[in-house]
Amino acid sequence: MTEQQRLEAIRRKTRQRLGFALLVLVLYFAYVLNYLPLGGFLGERLGDSRVTGSLLMFAGLIVVFIILELLFLVLNRGDSPGKGG
Amino acid sequence: MCLAGHRVARLPVLLASLLMPLRQALAAGGIDGEVQRQPLNPTAILMFLLFVAATLGISYWASRRTRSSRDFYTAGGTITGLQNGTAIAGDFMSAASFLGIVGLMFLGGFDGLVLALGAFSAWPLMLFLLAKRVRNMGSYTFIDVVSQRLERSAIRIVVLVSSIVVVILYLIAQMVGAGKLIELLFGLPYELAVVLVSVLVLAYVTFGGMLATTWVQIIKAVLLITGVTLTAFLVMRASDFSLDVLLHNAALNHPRGEAILAAGVLFKDPVQIATILVSMVFGTLGLPHILMRLFTVPNMLEAKKSAFYASLFMGYFYLALVLVGFGAVAMVYDRPEFFGPDGQLIGGSNMAAIHLATAVGGDLLTGFMSAVTFATILAVVAGLTVSGAAAISHDLYAQVIRRGEPDIRTELKLTRITTVCIGIIAVILGILFQDENVAFIATMPMVVAASVNFPVLFLSLFWSGLTTRGAIAGALVGLFSSVALIIVGPQVWVSVLGFGQALFPYDYPALFTLPLALGVTWVVSVSDRSARAVIDRRNYHDLLIRSEYGPGDAVKVAQH
Repeated sequence: MTEQQRLEAIRRKTRQRLGFALLVLVLYFAYVLNYLPLGGFLGERLGDSRVTGSLLMFAGLIVVFIILELLFLVLNRGDSPGKGG
Repeated sequence: MCLAGHRVARLPVLLASLLMPLRQALAAGGIDGEVQRQPLNPTAILMFLLFVAATLGISYWASRRTRSSRDFYTAGGTITGLQNGTAIAGDFMSAASFLGIVGLMFLGGFDGLVLALGAFSAWPLMLFLLAKRVRNMGSYTFIDVVSQRLERSAIRIVVLVSSIVVVILYLIAQMVGAGKLIELLFGLPYELAVVLVSVLVLAYVTFGGMLATTWVQIIKAVLLITGVTLTAFLVMRASDFSLDVLLHNAALNHPRGEAILAAGVLFKDPVQIATILVSMVFGTLGLPHILMRLFTVPNMLEAKKSAFYASLFMGYFYLALVLVGFGAVAMVYDRPEFFGPDGQLIGGSNMAAIHLATAVGGDLLTGFMSAVTFATILAVVAGLTVSGAAAISHDLYAQVIRRGEPDIRTELKLTRITTVCIGIIAVILGILFQDENVAFIATMPMVVAASVNFPVLFLSLFWSGLTTRGAIAGALVGLFSSVALIIVGPQVWVSVLGFGQALFPYDYPALFTLPLALGVTWVVSVSDRSARAVIDRRNYHDLLIRSEYGPGDAVKVAQH
């Protein structure tokens, strides 16, 4: 692999890293909605249950973040200790 | 006793507690001032002694395998991703995480979960942004990483100061919390409890280094997750395995009723929530003792696995805490035996998890959870001690004073001496600060790490324009602004210094200090026309390749 190809691969990987990180940060800071009038719907019960949108959001964020991590690892499964990815 | 009457009688106290500022609830262990000792629990003592015997045995085993600085700081890089992920979880899930979050949920339900989300969400970012590049670029500490492309001595000293500030403050908060907690749980005098924690940690770290510390953290993580799982299971069994029944009972027993199932009981200000979220997530990404764990694995693949496994364990832990937290509300509020004559929960809200263990599992589970709490403190303090020792002996002595060419035997000897010194300092500070409100000390490490360590580390890995001058200016501004805003904020200005109104309204100022540090770093870096700046920018290219392809593939060694 030439130097230029390596740099291109790194740029691609960096975009991927920053994309995943940005997605996590957007979802993470969406939690503030719970404290804004805009997010008032999150305080409502889901149907007849006592589970609220806020509680679902908390649990959902944790699960989504773990899934994103799994996806990231799968996308980079070609990694070896000495190679990029 | 009529429970309804009892509940009404203590309502004013509970409502006062609900209005209690976050800073009090977040103190290390959240226990300030006088504590009510619990009666001696033989099960707790027995389980604790078993834990101590097992971990001391491990320290002895590890001491025979710790012969070099690399062994001491990073366990020789022999830890697997799964082991390291478990140890990271063990290092990170502190007593404040467990008792503090359940305590906050006991007071305010859903609002208590903000800290859990903050603590957890750093881990995906650790995997995406830092795990691979940090592992490929460093050797023992994250300071190795930032000094790769910048002028070594200058940047090392600045980041070293910040790291030591973080470790010492974190240590004080842990020691004071530990002393009070052990006094409360085991009926031991405060000073004895602090000395006991320090002596045990010294035994682990001095002899067994990172290898012993790792195994102490692994055992602790397994015990904590087992304890929380067991408690959550018993809570669900008592609720007919129905989340709806659990939430119904919680809302029925809490003075604020169904309001606890959504946001707004403890916190109302969205900016306050945003500052907490910023401090927690970016602070975690800048904690020296957590970043150091990335070097204990043999390669970057294992480092990435470490971050993933850590996420998995912590995600599970914080989800189980939802059940434990609402379980505490559902099953402790209606038990008068857990409340004192003044109507307050015995031991304060942070004891809610322990009282819940008694409610659902009797003395056996209480003893187990008490022992687990003690183990939790030991594991966290051990991790901090290794990190502090590495900062002094590796970053200061070996890299700054000896310019990267230390005498190996002297370095290892110095590491052990530093470890003992840190242990002694921890005891002294723990005793000195025992009557202080340590909440601000517990806040500072996260804010400083978010405002100093994280920006320098992130920009050195991801921005080609970073220069030494820019990094130092940004780090200094981050350090001083975060300390200054904490001083003029509610925790110090009002609670410690006694002024009526804080000059700055938020406890966690990282929402403001992190962008400030990043901005100053950018402005100074782009306007830097020095000869060193040219070298700093040129170094990025080679180190970028090394950070992605590993040390063996670096095109050439960065210039210094």
